[in-house]
Amino acid sequence: MIRGIRSELFKLRTSPGPWVVAGATLLFTALGIVVVFLVRRGDGQGVQFIAPTSVYRLRRLIGAGFAVGGVWMAAIAGVLCVTGEYRHKVMTTSLLVEPRRWRLLTAKASASLIWGIGLAIVSLLLVGAMGIPLLNSQGGSVSALLDQAGAVLPGFFAAFALLALFGAGLGTLIKNQIAAVVTILAITFIVEPVFDGILPHVGRWLPFAASAAVAGGLAPTDARMYLLSWWLAAIVLTAWGLVPILIGYFVTFKKDVT
Amino acid sequence: MDTATRRPDAVAIEVSGLNKRFGSIQAVADLDFTVAPGRITGFLGPNGAGKTTTLRILLGLVKATSGTATIGGHRYEDLDRPLHRVGALLESTSFHPARRARDHLRMCAIAASIEVSRADEVLDLVGLRDAARRRVGGYSLGMRQRLGLATALLGDPSVLILDEPANGLDPQGIAWLREFLRYLAGEGRTVLVSSHLLAEMSQTVDDVVIIADGRARASGPLASLTSQVRAAMRVRTPEADRLLGVMAAAHWTSRRLAHDLVLVESVTPDQLGPVLARSQIVVYELVNQSTDLESVFLSLTANEPPVVRPVATAPGQPGVSSP
Repeated sequence: MIRGIRSELFKLRTSPGPWVVAGATLLFTALGIVVVFLVRRGDGQGVQFIAPTSVYRLRRLIGAGFAVGGVWMAAIAGVLCVTGEYRHKVMTTSLLVEPRRWRLLTAKASASLIWGIGLAIVSLLLVGAMGIPLLNSQGGSVSALLDQAGAVLPGFFAAFALLALFGAGLGTLIKNQIAAVVTILAITFIVEPVFDGILPHVGRWLPFAASAAVAGGLAPTDARMYLLSWWLAAIVLTAWGLVPILIGYFVTFKKDVT
Repeated sequence: MDTATRRPDAVAIEVSGLNKRFGSIQAVADLDFTVAPGRITGFLGPNGAGKTTTLRILLGLVKATSGTATIGGHRYEDLDRPLHRVGALLESTSFHPARRARDHLRMCAIAASIEVSRADEVLDLVGLRDAARRRVGGYSLGMRQRLGLATALLGDPSVLILDEPANGLDPQGIAWLREFLRYLAGEGRTVLVSSHLLAEMSQTVDDVVIIADGRARASGPLASLTSQVRAAMRVRTPEADRLLGVMAAAHWTSRRLAHDLVLVESVTPDQLGPVLARSQIVVYELVNQSTDLESVFLSLTANEPPVVRPVATAPGQPGVSSP
């Protein structure tokens, strides 16, 4: 199994799609950092750029990749990990190397999860490279920032990893890469906001809300009252990954490759 | 090939009672054949005959409706480390266009527990060393075929299953492939090759399996098959009825293929020419139907009755059958 996962990670490393996703994660992280530093002035004269001081804003700086929805890039990476095989007809080669399909799918799901953690690390590196100098220049406290890291990072990593697993599940279910990515975007920008607005008690069971609960320290205070507890959200988000993988395995992955 | 060195891990491919149905279409029907180690076996048939489906069943990519297709007695999906046992080339498009050739091979090597340095060895073997770092999207069809062969050889397998490996190769490439397959079979490997290039196959293969409409029409050594095709002459004449009468009088078997076309069996041009002259039959065309692989193929896969006669099959020895 380990060699299968290594091979899947090598596939991701040697194709452009996952790197484009990593680039997009960096972009969202950079945007998140800027958003954290932008504060609306009380005199109605617009916004100004000042160092974050509240616990919430400091945590949001650490999780800048999460802050503006960059975490969804992990889900798209998971989609690419599975659907790239169909799009480029590489599935034939993969199954010749590993004909036991459940092993191949497990390797893909595991590689997606690891790639998701990799995206979280990339995002954190940018926070270090960009956020800390910015914090220093604005007279902010780096030690206060680091004090919050322990509370935020486990949930931050878990959210990236589990959303990547969710993406892999969606990719197993929907073989068409474009359709799978569009589905991710539709869930992000249409389905979840609608549920959040109309039925928040239902919406909290959806993947993005569950990921916000997993990364509890990053969610706005007013949203937290609707979110599931972090451990229940972790179970829900894992289920959002594993259930489509199981269904996809029997519905599409086991089918004839012609 | 009889002098081929048997590899200790050399095994036969066995297909028995194989059936595959896609909805209402019977792609493979009661297919039986065996491929012996140390020999190159050509798998021939017209488009849609069921060749690729059979190979995909053999490789565990398509599930058979019934019957078995095994390699050394095992299904492909049950093989431990399959890349070390079986190398396969199925289609030249099975590559990520943005991935470098060497990375494609390394990716397979990692998954199959093969040293990644083997990637460079096989690229060298198929003549792609200089293009190893190029992205596969920029490869020609012939180069992709070579890369596919390199992938098949990655695990130094004792069995090779190649679907149309000559596709996209230029004449030099085809000549290279011929020698290469001979070299591989000479090492004692079991080589099964499907192709529609009959002239090329006749120069390459030792044995043939011919299928049409999913059914085996013939199998056995190539020399044995071609020797069983009777010499025949095709005569185009406006006097077909009179010709049939003359042939019957001469005790020669003949049959009408079209209103102005007659096939006369078991005769040579030297025998038939004088008879036609003596009978003063007008002839527009006189064609010697040669006894090559193409003739065997056409006679076995055409809808008309074949000219090949059934022969007795020795136990354990593949034989020729008529549809």
